[in-house]
Order: sequence, then structure tokens, then C-alpha cells
Amino acid sequence: MSYLEMRGIIRLYKESGVLANDKVDLSVEKNEIHAIVGENGAGKSTLMKILHGLERPDQGTITFRGREVSIANPLDADRLGIGMVHQHFQLIPQFTICENIVLGIEPKKYSIFFDREKARGRVMGIIKEYGFKIEPGLTVSQLTFGQMQLVEILKMLYRQADLLILDEPTSVLTEQEIKKLFTTLRNLKKIGKTVIIITHKLNEVKEISDRVTVMRKGKVAAVKKTAEVDRKELSRLMVGKSVLYDIERAELTRGLPVLELKEVTLRQKNQDMPLLDKLNLTVHASEIVGVAGVGGNGLAELEDVVTGLRRISSGEIYYNNNRITNSTIHELREQGLCYVPADRLYRGSSLRSSVKENMIITNSRNFQKAGIMSQKRVQDFADTLTAKYSIDGDTALPIGYLSGGNIQKVILARELEAKADFIVFSEPAWGLDIASSEFVYKKILQLREQGSAILLISSDLQEILTLADRVVVMYKGRIAADLANREITKEIIGEYMHGIRGDFEVK
Amino acid sequence: MGLKKKNSELFVNTIGLLITLGIAFFLVIILIFILSDEPGKTIYYFLIGPFINKYYFGNMLNSAIPLIFTGLGIAVAFRASMFNLGGEGQVYAGGLAATVICLALPSAGALVGIFLAVLSAILVGGVIGGLSGFFKMKWDTDELISSFLFSAALILIINYFITGILNDPNSNLLTTPLISDKYFFLYIFPPSRLDISIIFALLTAILVFFFMFYSKWGYEMRMCGLNREFSRYGGINTAKYIVIPMFLSGGLHGLAGSISILGTYHMCLKGFSGGMGWNGIAVALIARNNPLAVIPAAIFFAYLEAGAKAAMLHSDITFEIAAVVQSTIFYLITAQALYNFVRYRKRVEV
Repeated sequence: MSYLEMRGIIRLYKESGVLANDKVDLSVEKNEIHAIVGENGAGKSTLMKILHGLERPDQGTITFRGREVSIANPLDADRLGIGMVHQHFQLIPQFTICENIVLGIEPKKYSIFFDREKARGRVMGIIKEYGFKIEPGLTVSQLTFGQMQLVEILKMLYRQADLLILDEPTSVLTEQEIKKLFTTLRNLKKIGKTVIIITHKLNEVKEISDRVTVMRKGKVAAVKKTAEVDRKELSRLMVGKSVLYDIERAELTRGLPVLELKEVTLRQKNQDMPLLDKLNLTVHASEIVGVAGVGGNGLAELEDVVTGLRRISSGEIYYNNNRITNSTIHELREQGLCYVPADRLYRGSSLRSSVKENMIITNSRNFQKAGIMSQKRVQDFADTLTAKYSIDGDTALPIGYLSGGNIQKVILARELEAKADFIVFSEPAWGLDIASSEFVYKKILQLREQGSAILLISSDLQEILTLADRVVVMYKGRIAADLANREITKEIIGEYMHGIRGDFEVK
Repeated sequence: MGLKKKNSELFVNTIGLLITLGIAFFLVIILIFILSDEPGKTIYYFLIGPFINKYYFGNMLNSAIPLIFTGLGIAVAFRASMFNLGGEGQVYAGGLAATVICLALPSAGALVGIFLAVLSAILVGGVIGGLSGFFKMKWDTDELISSFLFSAALILIINYFITGILNDPNSNLLTTPLISDKYFFLYIFPPSRLDISIIFALLTAILVFFFMFYSKWGYEMRMCGLNREFSRYGGINTAKYIVIPMFLSGGLHGLAGSISILGTYHMCLKGFSGGMGWNGIAVALIARNNPLAVIPAAIFFAYLEAGAKAAMLHSDITFEIAAVVQSTIFYLITAQALYNFVRYRKRVEV
């Protein structure tokens, strides 16, 4: 029996219909550093949230230290000695390090007052015991990300955690900070702690972990000893085998440039690494440009920037030769932008509004006369879309009552019907079944034949290879490769995505 | 399945409201038994008082009128996810604006004068409310705080005018002079003070309902209220719908003030509008921000007040005790409505 055994974990998100964990087994040995890798949406975070009691599995068992345990909430997990550092730090910036560490289990004076002296003493004790160097009186808001992470780790140690879970701990750290973190983790291992680290950076997996579990689409794709696999193989395991769609992409000559990005850079306050670093990208009429990349490498930012939701720091953007660098999405929509967002539940739809109301958000002016909405025309339009896209649901009810697949169909129907000359798709088929995906893909290709310029941002490489004329791979906010979709494979794209390749460019 | 869900929710809410009402009245009866020496009589006047004669009944309806307007004002803002806590000051300012116009135009035609008075009240209230919206749009200040602060300051400034340069030296009340009687609204239910503006109030509620649910502006405003990110994504000018709902909300509050002056008070008494703004929030909460449901909700509040007054006049109960009894009901009902509101928001945000 291993130290930690998760068996047959199933977790279905009812609102979106996504099966995040599909009979997942995970076993972690005592005193090892175990990496869990996988693409976005592979189910890594869900699995760890279940282990830390933030979510309940629909099925499955957890055995920890040889006993079957039930973890209903993070307090249960703490009591068992399972601690977790989330990707976004859970610290109160205005509090000191010491206050953050003892928060929730403060030492008390006369059993009601916060005993600051004792708290400081205990925290100092922990810091000394593990050989860290940090002054617990500092306010968290003054710290660097690396130091904040250390506070999070101290929080776990203060709670006497033996199993430490770190969810993408390196995503906000600098190279030096990552080195320090890894030294810390190795030291923790030395004194007998067990570490689970979630990441999608393969070089880090190689550097720090003893064993690795690869997840793909809610399932475990492989469990390997890190020493026995190389990055290429891991990358291959993560992207998986090809599913062939019954789809024909006609040969077309591309038209004039529609969208042009020139040296587009996006910076964030207090961060050295730009989120987007001097991007140059052109999308032509009758062309689908697929953008691939691992989460955190600039895909979401690119999506926001080309749709006018986020203003860039420098560079220029042109749309049909008009400068739109500073245009808002409101102005771009008026010029005919269509956009299917990755975030369908919050950005792409308004869950409390009716299906009808969701369908007309971009073109409500077409249904009004002198400011008064024609209910009949709205209903007719809704009925047409429902039939055409086989949407299953009453159009008068809030869209939140629909299944995830049907919500996505409503969004696609709305955006595809507008027949714009430039469309942004982000994860268009995410959560759809094969038949629905094919239907969507055919629609996208139809738009291409009608002369639209299409930007397809997707983490599904198969989707990109099926649809795109060109494949752009993003890595660390830069374009790592810009490849014509001829004789390239998932494996090659995967290697660019993980920074294994990137020394040359094929055009 | 969805329809069932919706219906059962409505059912649960209605039952919830009825249970709360039941508990509230039960508590009230206990309170009266403790506080009154003639509890039977007190309970009778509290519950039945507003209906025993034309005078009481008409006055009850009359005091519902401003609550309909302020309730609508709050509902409009709420629907756009905006919070107007400045109702008190906006009503007061609207009342003062209407009075000043009427006093300044003693010889204008009646309809022209009324029109101008009402219009100026709407504009004054609207600008005060809209200012909070504008600040939010420009500097992201919380409209909840700013509207309250504006209102709090404004009340003092208006008091200054009423007791200062606009004061009527011939009156021993702290008030402006009486406006010309040609501007008085027609009484329609004598001997009570119920005037013709109740019809205007009902029409306004219908108009607001129509605006919210059948106009393009209303649609865009509600979409912003339900999900601002989605509305921005869909190309709606979301900045606009931070200012507009606050302007409309303020305007409706100003309107409430002018209607009270022209229909009931006929002069701007110091503090005449006290409570109209706060009660408007409670009215909107009970009506769950539905403009048509604002009408019965406002009448219910007026009924509570009228019952308390009747009990005061006809039994041994004092003003303070009447207020305690009234607020017991008020708190329970508002708490229930508030609970639903919070739960609703929470569920959607998760």
C-alpha cells in the first residue's frame, strides 16, 4: 500500500457538463516528489482540490497512511496533515507574515485575545527549524512572489503538514526564485515530507520530481519514473493520439490581410516578464490561423488583446488597414468583430438571462424600432437558431438551466450567424461531443470558404491540425513557431509548446 | 424541468413571504398585549384601522404614492446592479426644486407650472444620482457610499435654504411659503387627501416596467446588471449603463419629492421627505425589483403606517410604541427579502 492512494475518482461538473476526473487513480509514495502534468483542463487541479477537501468527488476513495479517509473540507485535510499551496496565493496582503501564518489557529491569551508574542515565537521557531531566512514582522504586500510562496509553505509547515501539494508553484516566479523553491522542496524531502507538484513545465518535472503522473482529458495517461522518460515522451503522452474527424479542408488561396499585429507587447504592473512579447501576426481573408500553447504562455492575453478587451502596452493592431490599437470591444463589435470566448459561463453568456436574451446581446439593435424591442422578432430569431443549431432548451428560461454543450451551441449560434469577416474562436469545441464538434468545425470551415479571416486559439492540437492553415505556437508570451499546416504533427507542435524546440522557424 | 424549477422557486419564495408575514403579525400581537392596556382595541385599529372610513383609507393610499416612486427608483438601479442609497436627499431636493419653481412662477398657467416643477425635480434628482454614477464610471468610486454621502450633505444644505432665505416669515413652521393653489393636485377621494397623482404613480410603474422589459435600453441595462463582463463582451457600452440607471433612479426620487409637494404638502416643509428614501429600498426589496410589484409593496408599507396612526389615535398606544410595532414587521419583511436577494446573488456568482 502506498502512502497516498486515490482510487477511481470521478468528478463531473454539472453546470458545464465537463467530466473533469474520469476514474482517476493516483498513488504517491512516502517521501517522494511526485509531479502531475497535463494540459489545461486535463483535471490536475480538480484532483488536487478533491484531495484537499475543496471539492467532493462523485465517486472514488482516498486512502492516506493506510487508512481510508473522508476529506470534506480543507480543515479535514489540515488535520490529516495534507497542506496545499494554491496557484493564486491565499494571503492577506495587509497582514504581516506572522499573522498570515497563524491565521485561523492563533495562539490566544486568556483564551480570547490574540497572543502576538507567542505567535511570533512559534513562527520564528518554524522558520529556524527548517532553515529559512525571512523576517516574520514584514507585511505581505511588500514581499516578492517568491517570498509569498515561502509564506504559503510556512503556513503548511506550521499546520504540521506531511503531504504538501503545490499547484503550479512556479508560474509567477523568476528563475532564481524557482531555484530557491526547488532547493526548499529537496530539503523538505530530506526531512521526510512528501510533495505533490502540479505543473505543465516539463523541464521542471525532469529537474525536481521522482515520479510523474501524466493526465489527459480527465484520465491518467501514464505513470512513470522521471528518470526513465525524456521530455519528448512526456510531451507526446500529454497531447495523446489523434482522433480523425470526418472533415475535408478545401484548398483555398488566402486573401488580403484582415488583422495585423505589429510588435504587440502587453506588460503587467510589477512584473518583469511581459505577458505578450513583441508579437507579429497576420490573419488573412479565407485563412484560419491556429494558435497553440500551454496555459500561462499568453494565449488568454492574446484573446483579450485582439478583441479589444485589454489595452496593449506598445505596438500596433490593424483591422482592414485601419488602426484599431486603442479601440474598445464596443467599437470593434460595431465594425463586425465576432468572438467565441474560452470563458463561456461568465464572459460568453449571462447565466441568469434567458436563452433569447443571450442570443441577441451583440445585435439587439436589429430587433428594435424606435428603441422598443419587437418580442416577436426576437422569438423568431431564437426559434431559427434553436432549430439550425439543434439547441435543446426552452428559449424563455435562463441559459444557466441548459447543459454546457447547449450553452456553447447558443454562443456559437449567436456569433456564427453574424457572418463577420473576422472571427476569434477560443476553445470552440471544448466540452462538446464528437458529433457537435464536427458540426462546429464544418461551420468554421464554411466561414473560411466565405472569405472570413479566423483566429483559432485552442489547447486541442487535433482541432488546430484539422482546421488551421497556419499554426502559431506561443511560448512565454512569444511566438515560438509559425508553421504552415503541412507535414507537421502534434508531436512537433507539442515540442514547441513546451519549449523543447524553438531554435528555428519554418514558414 | 427548467420550468418546474422556476415555478417551485416562486412557490418557495411566496410561501416564505407568507410565513414571515405570519410570524411578524404574531410578534406584533404579542408586543401589543405586553405594551397596551387595551390590546383588543389596539390590535383592531392596527389591523383594520386603515379601512374603517374613507378618510383613513384615502390617506393610506396617498402616503403610498411617494413610496411607489422611490421604490421604482431603487428597483431601476438594482436591476442594473447599482445601489442608490441617496434616496432621502434626492426626494428632498426634488421637493425643494418643485417648490422653488412654483414660487418663482406665480402667474404661469397651471399646467405649464406643474410641468416645469415636475421636470426640474426629475432633473435635480437625476443629476444628483447620476453624479454618483459618473464618479463610479470615471474613478471607480463606490456608488453606494457616494450616493449616501451626497444625500447626507444635501439634506443639511436644503435645511439651510428652507430655514434661511426661503423661509416663510409668516408661518410658525420651518417651511417655505405656500405655493399658489392653482398648482395643487386635484383631490379625488374626499375627505381624504388622496389626489390624482396616484394615477400618475400607477402609470409610471407601468411605464418603468415597459422600459425595463420591452425597450432596448432596458434590455441592455438589465444585461449589464446581470453580468457586466458578458455585456462588455457583447459590445454594450457598459460605461453608459453605470450613469443612466443612477440618473433614472435619482430622477424617480426627485419626482417623488415634487409629487408630494404638489399633491400633499403644498410647501417645502423641513424634513417632509424623511423616510421616503429608506422605505423605497424596503419596498423595492419586497417587490423583488419588479416595477409592477412595487405598487402592492408600497401600499403594504403605507398600510403599516396608517395602522400605527389609527392605533395611536384610538387606543392608549404612544407614538414610540406604534413605531416599535411597525418596525418589527418592517425588519422581518425586509430581512426576508434581503435574504432572498443575497442568496440569489450568491448562487449566481458561484
